[in-house]
Amino acid sequence: MRSWWRVLGVVLGVSVLFVGAWAEKLVVIGPWSGAEADPFVAVLDAFKAKTGIDYEYRTMRAEDLSKVLPAQFGAGMAPGDVIFMWGWWIAKFADHMADLSDVIADVPFAYVSPLVVDGRTVGVPYVVFVKPGFWYRKSFFAEHGLKPPTSWPDFISLLKRIKAIPGIEDAAASGDGVGWPLSDTTEHFILAYGGVNTFLGLIDGTIKWESPEVRAVFENYLIPYLDYASEPIEWTSALDLWWEGKYGIYFMGNWITGMVDDPSDLGVFALPGAKAVTGGPDIFFVPKYSKNLEAAKKLAAFLMSKEGQELRAAGGGKLVVRADVSPTAYPPAERALMKALEGFTLVSDMDDTIGGEWQAAFWDQLKLLWVKPGALDDVLRVLDEKFPKG
Amino acid sequence: MRSSPRAEPRGKGEGKSRRGLPLLFWRSSRRREEWVAALGFLAIGLVLIGFFVIWPSIRTLWFSLFDAEGFAGVRNFARLFGDREIVDLVRFLRREPPWGALLHNLVWIVIHLPFTVGLGLILAVVFSKIRSWWVGIARGAIYLGIVTPLIVGGVIIRFLFDKHAGMAPQILGALGAPVPWSAGWTAYPETALLALVIGSIWLWTGFSMVLHSAGLSTIDRELYEAAQIDGASELAQFRYITLPLLRPVTLVVAAMTFLWELKIFDIVYVATMGGPGGASNVLALEMYFSAFRELDPYRASAIATLITLFSLPVGYWFARRRLRR
Repeated sequence: MRSWWRVLGVVLGVSVLFVGAWAEKLVVIGPWSGAEADPFVAVLDAFKAKTGIDYEYRTMRAEDLSKVLPAQFGAGMAPGDVIFMWGWWIAKFADHMADLSDVIADVPFAYVSPLVVDGRTVGVPYVVFVKPGFWYRKSFFAEHGLKPPTSWPDFISLLKRIKAIPGIEDAAASGDGVGWPLSDTTEHFILAYGGVNTFLGLIDGTIKWESPEVRAVFENYLIPYLDYASEPIEWTSALDLWWEGKYGIYFMGNWITGMVDDPSDLGVFALPGAKAVTGGPDIFFVPKYSKNLEAAKKLAAFLMSKEGQELRAAGGGKLVVRADVSPTAYPPAERALMKALEGFTLVSDMDDTIGGEWQAAFWDQLKLLWVKPGALDDVLRVLDEKFPKG
Repeated sequence: MRSSPRAEPRGKGEGKSRRGLPLLFWRSSRRREEWVAALGFLAIGLVLIGFFVIWPSIRTLWFSLFDAEGFAGVRNFARLFGDREIVDLVRFLRREPPWGALLHNLVWIVIHLPFTVGLGLILAVVFSKIRSWWVGIARGAIYLGIVTPLIVGGVIIRFLFDKHAGMAPQILGALGAPVPWSAGWTAYPETALLALVIGSIWLWTGFSMVLHSAGLSTIDRELYEAAQIDGASELAQFRYITLPLLRPVTLVVAAMTFLWELKIFDIVYVATMGGPGGASNVLALEMYFSAFRELDPYRASAIATLITLFSLPVGYWFARRRLRR
């Protein structure tokens, strides 16, 4: 009998300890993993050291979260306390988010604004990514006497010269995730040769994909470029192959600076004639079902504090959103990028802004276009058909 | 002369009472006890099945009859059959995929079903004839596919047909095959579906092989000995002994394979996400897109109901067969 009491005591003790530890542990869900997550985890560590509140970081892509969260919200639950998700999606499920207005009241935002629905701040932009153009290795360009192009014919000539280099498979690497690297490239072409107004018209639906001006961008610029681009390759594999010299240039966002061995060897150029580049924020929300709502708000406040933002800036790979963070807080690669972006307008990423089924269709149709440029008519038709009604 | 119940012999005679009513009562009482006991054992299982299978199925069927504006009857189903993403017969007859998710599922069945069932049967027979140390290893390697999580299977397929890492494009490229056969199969509409089907043959053949191996072990050896004495060749033994006696197993494998093909999702999701341009999309993935991308539970429910309707004949046959046994 005594042994039963002992077992019961141990079970109770462990349960109390477990529940105590669990209650204070924040679950943070973000899309980054590996080297890309390291700078963010460093900020979380600083928060833990400062407040004593423990955390657990879990990697989950927005794509995967989108099928978990609706059911959990329906049951009044959430898988995490601070969660990074698409902005359009947060706005759609705003009723399930805690109001973070008080948390960000004093934050001087640059580039982007918080996501406000019915007067409640439901999503907070944490960092900004920019898709500035085509990246190249300075050493590779120097070795082969190549220079960033200054005109469209110059760009085509550059592609031709790269393709002629022995050992090169294609002039440009094309990354594939679920399709977003291709959409980033396409958006860059539309901005450069269709202009900002065409780009924004496509986002709000006032311009059709099958319209002559959009078709012209595809026919005169993107499709000729595809002659020199690889088929879609898993984007991190493409990054390695490009870095090893199988490809000459690679269109990617600025997070690439945190993923290569030597960021000082990186150079970047936008398409000749481009006046704007796309970018977007990584937005987080706190679900109102969080069991640690106050602690989650403390973390949100720390992430957006000057201290938290400077720490993140130092990690590189992303630009922080506080206007009062000095450029000196960034590593050299980001400082160079900020300098290169001077004079460019930053516009919101198209597929992330529209979202929903259209986003998936956009990615998928571009994968088709990349290997079958002749399917342009079908691609443009589907993009118009899938565009959100109303 | 009527004997009193007390004078009735006990034991064997109990069931032979000439008085019908007490006997019926006795029997029904016993039956009731049996039923109560059976229900006691089954209760937890029935509650779980009720909550997690029956209720969601009824709700799904119910949802499929509605749309955002209210009761829609079978309109959702009519829309599905008019949707190019589900069936594109015109394109099917003229061009490379996409042909629509339903046709992709059918193509999957047409290629995958005979290959996995046939290959599993042949491998089981061949391995049963050979006595060597490597047979166990080969069996294990083939069976590995079935214990591999399908998500991992999808990743393997993606790399198996990748331009740089993949075995198939490398070999075909060395033999001088043109693009897309020498390129990344999952990137091209002509080859994406085929890559998935071939990969899934590897993933599922182990199942067919193991069941056929188990079936083979139940066939009486004397039948083969008698056939050999009569001068029957190996092929004749296979044709007239193995094949007919394995028929019940083969039918079960075929039924299970058919159901597996109808609900295929994981490997498509991981390897191609249904692309490029919907060229490898399947019904289950289309259901997922409707539910979690379009946020349209009605269309998703209609597709789910469609998948269930297609699997019902096989499920019915399977259930009847088990009941008969």
